[in-house]
Amino acid sequence: MDGLDFLKNEWRKENHNYTQVSEFDIYKMLHKNSSSSVKWILVIGIIEFIIWTGIGLFFNTDDYVKSIHAEEMLIYLKILTYVNYTIVLFFIYKFYQNYRTISTMVSTKQLMKDIMKTRKTVNQYVAYNLAMIVITMVLGFIMAFLYNPKLSSLKEKITNDASNGTLLKIICILTLATVIFVVIFWLFYKVLYGILLKKLKSNYNELQKIEI
Amino acid sequence: MSETLEQSFVKQLKENQNIVHKICRLYTNDSDAHNDLFQEITIQLWKAFPKFRGDSKFSTWAYRVALNTAITLYRKSTKSVSTVSYEVQKHFFTHEEYNYEVEEKLKLMYQAVHQLNDIEKALVYMYLEDKDYTEISETLGISEVNARVKMNRIKGKLIKILNP
Repeated sequence: MDGLDFLKNEWRKENHNYTQVSEFDIYKMLHKNSSSSVKWILVIGIIEFIIWTGIGLFFNTDDYVKSIHAEEMLIYLKILTYVNYTIVLFFIYKFYQNYRTISTMVSTKQLMKDIMKTRKTVNQYVAYNLAMIVITMVLGFIMAFLYNPKLSSLKEKITNDASNGTLLKIICILTLATVIFVVIFWLFYKVLYGILLKKLKSNYNELQKIEI
Repeated sequence: MSETLEQSFVKQLKENQNIVHKICRLYTNDSDAHNDLFQEITIQLWKAFPKFRGDSKFSTWAYRVALNTAITLYRKSTKSVSTVSYEVQKHFFTHEEYNYEVEEKLKLMYQAVHQLNDIEKALVYMYLEDKDYTEISETLGISEVNARVKMNRIKGKLIKILNP
């Protein structure tokens, strides 16, 4: 008898070899903290929702708008804020729904899919926030350009510059800053979830390979 | 006196703990890692217990949750190479010739299994537990045919590891 069948033969006899855990020990274990990947996804997900929503609340655009005397823009900003909150609530709801469907009682493949789906919701939320920041930055710049008296000299320079060189330079600098900003975030998330989901992904790929 | 959910769970897990031990045996190769995985599986079983309806046996339900925990939820890498305990173990059985031989063979066998990946270990576990291919395919979420093909490949792979 060779290979796996030898092990199978011995497998049943092995029961007595394991140090038995007492009922008391099991009770103790029930009250310890899990270190599962799903728990970390939940914790990090919640932290992200708090931080990103917090950033939105922290930046008070109203004062800025008033300071540059662009009051007519306030109504649009208000609409944008409410739209933003609706979208954020939708994301939180979706994240919670996905999280709740995670169950260890389904097949391994389904479980992996459910976990990745939950994770994806948070990724989409982060992407949405990054996009919002970029949009806000662009809007902020346009508004400053149109209303901020401090920038009037710059405005004149651009209007006088027939070759559009100054405007081009400004656009280049802003685009570069945005790209760097987004890449840094993207790398951060890549590393964070790379560590968290590395094992899950490689096991998922193994399962996929079996089906080919 | 009616049993609380917790009491009922603890009692059933204590009776069926060898299921968890056996999975830990395949997925880890030292006692610290074994206990750590045992603990995580216990937590996950307890979390899922309220949804356990009793239409399947506790043991059937438990091994699925336990495998899912080992493969998917447990974050620490369960990949391992050869164990150090092998040499130590060797000297314990020299006085009993038969045991020594079987014990040594068993050690080598476990070392070989430890070189498989997490999915392959799950298939090995279910094979050792005599689960049929319908159950294996349902547990992992792959087709029955592919489960069968994979199982044969694993057997071949193990023989290759054992006889390089």
